[in-house]
Amino acid sequence: MLSLKQISKYYSSGGAKTYVLNRVDLDVDQGEFVSIMGPSGSGKSTLLNIIGMLDQPSEGYQYFLNEPVHQLKDKQRSALYKQNIGFVFQAYHLIDELTVYENIETPLLYQDVKSAERKALVADILDRFNIVGKKDLFPEQLSGGQQQLVGIARALISKPKLILADEPTGNLNSKQGEEIMELFKKLNKEDGVTVIQVTHSEKNAQYGSRIINLLDGKIDSSIIL
Amino acid sequence: MFKNHLKIAFRSLWRNRAFSAINMFGLILGFTVFIFIAEYVAYEWNANRFHQNFNQLSRLSFLYKTGESNYYLPPGLGPTLKSNVPGIKQVVRIGENVGSGVLSINTGASKNVFREERVSFVDGQFLKVFTFPVLQGNGLLNEPQTMALSKTTAIKYFGNVNAVGKVIQVNNQFGNTDYTVTSVYQDMPQNSDIQADVLLSYKTLESAALRNGNDWADPTGLGSEYSYLYILTNENANLSQISAQATNLWHKLKPDSKNDHVGLQPFQNLHIAPGFSYQFQTYGSLLLLIAFLSVAMLIIVIAWVNYINLSTAQALNRAREVGVRKVLGASRGQLTLQYLTETFVLTTISLGVAMLMVLMLQAAYNSFLEKQLSLAVLNAGWFWLGGATLIISGTLLAGGYVSWVLSSFNPLKTIRSKAFLKVGGLSLRRGLVVFQFVTSIIFIIATIVLYEQLQYMQNQDLGMKVEQRLAVTGPSIINSSQRDNSIAFENEVRQLPFVKQLSASNNIPGQGYNFSTAGITKSNANPGDDKKSYAMLIVDDQFFKTYDINIKYGTGFTLPMLAHGWTKTKKVVLNEAAVRQLGYNDNNAIIGQKIKWNNDFEIVGVVKDYHHLGLHEQIKPMIFLPAVADGFFTLKMETANMSTKMEQIRSLYQKNFPGEPFSYSFLDEVYDKQYKTEYQLGKIFIAAAFTAVLIACMGLLGLAMFAARRRIKEIGIRKILGANVFSLVNLISADFLKLVVVALVVASPIAWYIMHRWLEGFAYRITMQWWMFASAGLMALFIAFATVSIQAIKAAVSNPVKSLRSE
Repeated sequence: MLSLKQISKYYSSGGAKTYVLNRVDLDVDQGEFVSIMGPSGSGKSTLLNIIGMLDQPSEGYQYFLNEPVHQLKDKQRSALYKQNIGFVFQAYHLIDELTVYENIETPLLYQDVKSAERKALVADILDRFNIVGKKDLFPEQLSGGQQQLVGIARALISKPKLILADEPTGNLNSKQGEEIMELFKKLNKEDGVTVIQVTHSEKNAQYGSRIINLLDGKIDSSIIL
Repeated sequence: MFKNHLKIAFRSLWRNRAFSAINMFGLILGFTVFIFIAEYVAYEWNANRFHQNFNQLSRLSFLYKTGESNYYLPPGLGPTLKSNVPGIKQVVRIGENVGSGVLSINTGASKNVFREERVSFVDGQFLKVFTFPVLQGNGLLNEPQTMALSKTTAIKYFGNVNAVGKVIQVNNQFGNTDYTVTSVYQDMPQNSDIQADVLLSYKTLESAALRNGNDWADPTGLGSEYSYLYILTNENANLSQISAQATNLWHKLKPDSKNDHVGLQPFQNLHIAPGFSYQFQTYGSLLLLIAFLSVAMLIIVIAWVNYINLSTAQALNRAREVGVRKVLGASRGQLTLQYLTETFVLTTISLGVAMLMVLMLQAAYNSFLEKQLSLAVLNAGWFWLGGATLIISGTLLAGGYVSWVLSSFNPLKTIRSKAFLKVGGLSLRRGLVVFQFVTSIIFIIATIVLYEQLQYMQNQDLGMKVEQRLAVTGPSIINSSQRDNSIAFENEVRQLPFVKQLSASNNIPGQGYNFSTAGITKSNANPGDDKKSYAMLIVDDQFFKTYDINIKYGTGFTLPMLAHGWTKTKKVVLNEAAVRQLGYNDNNAIIGQKIKWNNDFEIVGVVKDYHHLGLHEQIKPMIFLPAVADGFFTLKMETANMSTKMEQIRSLYQKNFPGEPFSYSFLDEVYDKQYKTEYQLGKIFIAAAFTAVLIACMGLLGLAMFAARRRIKEIGIRKILGANVFSLVNLISADFLKLVVVALVVASPIAWYIMHRWLEGFAYRITMQWWMFASAGLMALFIAFATVSIQAIKAAVSNPVKSLRSE
């Protein structure tokens, strides 16, 4: 599904290069559930952002669904991730001014999906996530777990092939966290969505099919569970 | 999508309501001022334009070698022009207010009497050529002793507009004459420069009997110049050619007028001059119009600048939202559209509220301008379109910039933390604040200079006194007993205990002279002396005493000199300027000398120069002529308990001048009226300065809020390290006060130049002082400090633990 070859990310300061990522090779197949772990500053989030095309590597080759991402123009790149990738954030990042329903609907608006179809898609996912009763509430009226649920629903609404989650349970208590992880597992198993998450938690990492450990911008180990 | 944008726009405006309110307040203020001024501009622009022949009308004038111009022409020139100069379709003469007097209607038992000032003699086609709508009758005044009434006048006299065929007796300087009403016309609109309530046919004056001895008014005469001449030309007529032919004709008719030129002033330029050095007089003021227009433009630009400033400052709060939307797949164009929608909503609401404000404040504004303005004024010409285009384009520009800034945020950085965020254009926003303060400071300086000049003019020693002087308008009916009545009235008023002095004169200070003339020289004149002009004023023996004008040499007039009138007595009093212009030495030997003005006139006195008219112009050489005058009676009196005193004067007036309406004015007010334009400018500048400063302060407030928020971490750390509130307030405020100082430096020379040019319009004027600029600067500085320090204090007293944690 995606392939990173010799990917590096560095910042130059005063002639010296500070590497965040250093010649990373990574292949992820369709249907995998990958957990990226590592201490603070090891480059986890940067790696995730590069995979999500929100950030660009300084060097290396990147392929996504057989497209050479490193050769694409900005527009093509954003079209590619718009279609295929959903993002889930630690701080949920729901839009405060919008209701649950509208938050979930927003990506569809940006893809020019017709009104009737939008309605059907949002109703469907509200139903699946069991949050129909909450659809007219604003984010601040929800608990953290519920907000993250909405965040995931929003990430899934455009039927992405890949979900990128940056510490999705970081702001949740353990019970809420478990529910979210179960949800990811279910999505992975039943719907065949590929999931890549960054996590600090050994326990959450166990939900996946593979754990990649990063250390100082390099892959330290890759363990298939 | 648009519905969605609209929804989000309303929600986010509501969510940030404090901010939206400040932002909207600036726009509302800007729009309100703009609409008001647009009304004025539209009104001035539309002056006279209702005439269907607008583009083919011109006013005639004499242009002299001296650069002066004269719009009063001999009426006899009119018909001659029409028959001799090709291209002229019609000539219409207007003897403006020449027929003013008392109109009476016999209603059987009683006689209704009205005093009318705006009674003009006009040619028969007047109502057709100028296309004033005729309500009743045929609109023609071709026959002698015919008249037309305005709608209001007709209703005043007869209760309705059905006045055609009625007979009205007109008692004016031409005696008592009966006129038959042929037409009733719609009231002349306020923005018509031609105004009359009653029109009398010029044909009437062709009869010597109906002129009552006033042969100067003969419509066929070429001697006395008292009539406006308007011509209606053929389409595509060549005005300069007509002007040249008219000039030739005039030279043929009057061989001694070789140096005069007959000028044609197109009707389009009758109200507002097309440029500042326009040779013809206009009814409106280009200066006021330009001042108004620049104020309007500046205020609305300031409002937009404010919008940009506040919105970009607030952008920081929106950054995360922008980031999230981008990650969710929003393109830059979509985001721009969304924020433009927000601008659109904000502008529309502001515009709506501004309209309401205009409706509410219209009456006050109208009384200030003394004009009947309303939103309906804009309903003519290109004003709606122009105004709408201006507002839309400004909004697009301001909103577009803000949207552009917002949509340029890098999503990754905004999502991670605000601390990484740099909102672009900080220097631009500083520049905008400087611009706002430059404008504000210019307005403040202009206001100060203007009021200093007004103060100066009011406090200037005029060389005479106008306070506690009451001017009673003399009778308009001239008959055989006139003189005796006037003398009787004067004597009786003098008996009133509160009247200290009384003088009769044919004109009064602040209002004008009786006439101006050349051809006066000393006995051994130098060549060219006879071209110099003198202002003549007809007064009685008490004039100088009543106005406290100092007599320098000689005696002034005595009672016996009045008795036979100045044409027989042949005595004059000069002012110092006249002495200089005549070429006499300024000493006592001048008394008894003779000046030549066809005959010899003996100089019996010289008075010190005084400002007969306002300080715009130099004191003119004046010559006083003695007569039993009755144009105005000036009473020097205590002005306490005016109403009872006025009653007594009124009863004496009505006893001696039965049937004459009693009207009066206070001399200081008459004199002050000359500065009306300056007072209006002053008020405009005060309002403009106030608005500009207010809006600019809001911009500053936005910037301060932004800065305080941006530097909250720095402030927290400084506090933990031991900084006190005072030093923190200084830290934040200093940045902004620097901007105001920069603005002062930029504004001062601009303001100096503008006001210097303005002051040049006054013969007597102040010189600008450094303190005028300094106090404007201090004022701006103080207001700015007050605005900023509130934000600074708020930031400085906040709990550092809280601010650092939230980072």
